[in-house]
Amino acid sequence: MTTDMQDSRQIEQAAAAWLARREGDGWTDSDAAALDAWIAASTAHRVAFVRLESAWTACGRLQALGAGTRPGRIPPRGPWPGLPAGDHATAPANPRRHRAAWTGGALAILLAGAALGWGWRVHVASEDASYATSAGELRTVTLADGSSATLSSDSVIHMRLTRRERHIDLQRGEAFFSVAHDARRPFTVAVGARRAVAVGTRFAVRNDPDEMRIVVTEGVVRLELQSAHPEAAAPSTLLTAGMVATAQGNSVLVRSVSPEDAERYLSWRSGFLSFHDTPLAAAAAEFNRYASRPLVIGDAAVGQIPIGGNFRWSNSEAFVRLLEDGFGIRAERLADRIVLRSH
Amino acid sequence: MSTALDSWFAREILVHEQALERYLRRCWPHRDDVHDLRQDTYVRVYEAAARALPSAPKAFLFTTAHNLMTDRLRRAKVVSILSVGDFDALNVLVEDVSPEREFSGRQALARLAEAFDRLPDRCRETVWLRRVEGLPQKAAAQQMGVSEKTVEKHLAKGMRLMAAWYYGGEAAATDAAAHAHDDDRHARQQAD
Repeated sequence: MTTDMQDSRQIEQAAAAWLARREGDGWTDSDAAALDAWIAASTAHRVAFVRLESAWTACGRLQALGAGTRPGRIPPRGPWPGLPAGDHATAPANPRRHRAAWTGGALAILLAGAALGWGWRVHVASEDASYATSAGELRTVTLADGSSATLSSDSVIHMRLTRRERHIDLQRGEAFFSVAHDARRPFTVAVGARRAVAVGTRFAVRNDPDEMRIVVTEGVVRLELQSAHPEAAAPSTLLTAGMVATAQGNSVLVRSVSPEDAERYLSWRSGFLSFHDTPLAAAAAEFNRYASRPLVIGDAAVGQIPIGGNFRWSNSEAFVRLLEDGFGIRAERLADRIVLRSH
Repeated sequence: MSTALDSWFAREILVHEQALERYLRRCWPHRDDVHDLRQDTYVRVYEAAARALPSAPKAFLFTTAHNLMTDRLRRAKVVSILSVGDFDALNVLVEDVSPEREFSGRQALARLAEAFDRLPDRCRETVWLRRVEGLPQKAAAQQMGVSEKTVEKHLAKGMRLMAAWYYGGEAAATDAAAHAHDDDRHARQQAD
């Protein structure tokens, strides 16, 4: 990375040298051709040059300062008469402005929370309960604090409500949470050592064999890794609406997606699976979360076929028929599974 | 040699440099890499814009910076969030709208004047004679009692520092000034 860093500074330096030469005396056509060639050689050259050139063009406005000064005499440093104090005066205020921007963000989060404030309870409810769904079942439960959890097929959550916290263990599957605002009791969803912490928001957490996935549709969720050393600050990632985080081992990948894409991850709540250029292997795995008779990929080629569209997860038979008709896939229906093969 | 795309780039992208630098500094643990990250971000934005102009340039700029940092983390195999500086900021500041800076009007002129006043003496003198008074290089060299080559060097340095302040703002300008010194030395070594 050190070489890269030197590169970007060296490029800027070379761009400045070109620009200064061009502004100087004795600029020839062949110089111009050489500069064009240098610029054309890489986009890095081009952007560096464009940046310096446009700033230098803007510097032409400095001529306004020259009015009334004696030629050849360099005026002392400002303040310049007639000019408003520029960033000069406001520079020390920069940190404050910065903080103001942050406060704005915090305020927005508070407001988002307030919108859900109806769920706030004066008396602190407590609860200690487990909820589960079987394959193909979808269930929405209202928790004692006013929050709700929608459990996807074959999922298990354990909920512990105390005066201090609202703790959910997502033991299996996936659930979507609509969290009632309660600033004094953070709402935590744990998958192993990872915890997603929310105050008032809407998000889904999914527990896959080696992976935890969070989709946030509203508000802010903090993703933390529970540290083995409690004294060490827990590393955390803040997720806002439209973000999809995938945590695997020690790594967290965060993507910002469009609201439609975020909804697609959650279409299971309305009984649909939504695919977009999804390899059949992944689509089948998705169906298998819901179906009692799993779809099995019979060969590698069939697993690669890209699938798009919305499918009712309760009807994997219709999906299989579509594969047979539309993709020429051969389906072998056995008692305990359906094997998919290309010809 | 300036194309329509170049002026779009200056008008829609470069004006956010201060916010971009702030964002990069905030997210990336190594301050020394910021210059490079900024440049790579610009390269990606420019190349994408050459194919199709983004409809929301500022958002596109920040998304690009975000993706660039994510890619680097992945490539550097330091994806562990433990090794990243302020990863929170990486996710949150994308939409944190920093105060828009003026690039026209008296505020912009005031900022230019301030940038100009921050230049080292000889540099400032050169920029004044060449850019404000419009003196030819030779005349400026005579008046300053230095070679034309030296005037050109002061001018090149002035251009970099002015751009750093004008687009980047205080933190960027301070860094640029610190590095300008190293670069001078480096350039001299290269010339030897």
